[in-house]
Amino acid sequence: MPEALIETDRVSKTFGGVTALDEVSLQVPRSTVLGLLGHNGAGKTTLINVLSTLLPPTAGTARVAGFDVVRQPRQVCSRIGLTGQFASVDEQLSGRDNLVLIARLLGAGRREARERADELLELFDLRQAARRPARGYSGGMRRRLDLAASLVGRPDVIFLDEPTTGLDPTSRRGLWQVVEELVGDGTTVLLTTQYLDEADRLADEVAVLSGGRVVASGTAEELKARVGQRTVTTALADPADAQAALAALRGAGLAPVHDAERGAVSAPVTASRELAVVVRALDEAGVEVGDLGLSEPTLDDVYLALAHRTAALGN
Amino acid sequence: MTGTLTASDTETTTARPRRWRGSSPPTQVLVLTGRSLRALLADPRVVVFSLLQPLVMLVLFSQVFGNALRGSVAAQGGSYINYLLPAILVTTGIGSATQSGVGLITDMKNGVLNRFRALPIRLGSVLVARSIADLVRTAVQLVVLLLAAVVLFDFSPAGGIFGSLGALGLALLVSWSLGWVFLALASWVRKEEVMQSIGFLAMFPLMFASSAFVPLDALPEWLQVVATVNPLTYAIDASRHLALAAPVGTGVLSAAGTSGLLLFLGAAAAMRGFRRPL
Repeated sequence: MPEALIETDRVSKTFGGVTALDEVSLQVPRSTVLGLLGHNGAGKTTLINVLSTLLPPTAGTARVAGFDVVRQPRQVCSRIGLTGQFASVDEQLSGRDNLVLIARLLGAGRREARERADELLELFDLRQAARRPARGYSGGMRRRLDLAASLVGRPDVIFLDEPTTGLDPTSRRGLWQVVEELVGDGTTVLLTTQYLDEADRLADEVAVLSGGRVVASGTAEELKARVGQRTVTTALADPADAQAALAALRGAGLAPVHDAERGAVSAPVTASRELAVVVRALDEAGVEVGDLGLSEPTLDDVYLALAHRTAALGN
Repeated sequence: MTGTLTASDTETTTARPRRWRGSSPPTQVLVLTGRSLRALLADPRVVVFSLLQPLVMLVLFSQVFGNALRGSVAAQGGSYINYLLPAILVTTGIGSATQSGVGLITDMKNGVLNRFRALPIRLGSVLVARSIADLVRTAVQLVVLLLAAVVLFDFSPAGGIFGSLGALGLALLVSWSLGWVFLALASWVRKEEVMQSIGFLAMFPLMFASSAFVPLDALPEWLQVVATVNPLTYAIDASRHLALAAPVGTGVLSAAGTSGLLLFLGAAAAMRGFRRPL
């Protein structure tokens, strides 16, 4: 049994009469990533706030890096890094001064603090902007600075609350790479996201949060298998071919749907090799294809599938 | 390792250094105060405006009321500027105190405080640091104001340099203690607009319904009553007595004592309010 660096036991949190977390139990082993998937309001941020000692739980216990978040907040705080949904950097200070400040507060001497700051600025490609006030930074730079700030103390556990929301694709991939490197170095990560592909790429385990409850958990693959299919969508070169295309795909054993508005036909598939089946079927029926795409299930699909399942269980 | 430490040695030892154990509270206060002061200097416009604002007040009031009140204040210290400046010192200090609260809420809003909350530091350090930084800011403001008054307006009270510094010191104490009251309000209210309104409401009526700009007997009767129960009147009178070398009596002591009490209560309430979770 590997050591769990994050452990929650039936953690609940209510605000007034509203339940934000409902008996959440999780285990995150050292040097792994747990992806917490959920829409806005599912309770992701509340859970992170509880784990990072910002909010006391209403019920249940939580331990981070071996320390109780309620009884030993100091010990927890010196072992975690937190990157919130909104970059929390001091806008008036330069990027470097922001990092030096955190290092000094963590107990580093002046020189040590400056060295650590420069190290991180280098790592996050912020050296050129190091002495400019953070208020002039772009969204991506700010996010990188924020992440750098949460890494100053070389934490054992990092909480990333929707780290890539609002980032451009390049910054997004850059951040993913950093997370992967951190985990490679032994850091444990809890990451919240609304994107299934992000969880898929980074997380060893995924937990789906809905209405404050964990409604499903497992590896991303397991989750996707449960949701089922990816979807092949073919835009038809000639919309008049729609009926022929539907017939051809039905003939190939698929269950196609016609999207008249976009002049496209789409069909759920279970494996990517079925892409070839689609192409062959359409080709044989003499249907000319304009564009062809395979799309991954989205968080909505996950929710939909889980809702179906819950409804089925209810019956 | 007995030889001299070479560059390559230091490089290899930084591979996985020991964990920092958290800084001591004095270091926290020092570092955080430095941060607030630096943020202040980072935006020179703010500094210039905060220095200019009391000067504008000084010019306006001295010119608008100066002639009209020449007679009635003459008994209390000669020229109107001698009468006015101690009051401007106190009101500037109070205005500055309201800014303490607004500044704290700004920090809450832009997320920096959340980061501090997740660090192994005492939350009280954050408040103490802000209070000290604001005290420094106010001190600079008041010193500039005093110098400008001496150079530009021929401020020369009977109390001389020591009386003037005494008046400044008392204004600073009042500002510091009210700063804690506003920090307390801010850490319970946590809304910038509400804080701005509280600051405005607390400032303006109190400022005008006092002995700040005209002697009490020049006010309408009902306002005299308000001014007599207005604590600001006592703070201003005390500061004025110091500057004008009037017999100080117990006024200064009670103003200082009241400030001390407010400071204590404000600080206690601020620490409590600030510790509440988000």
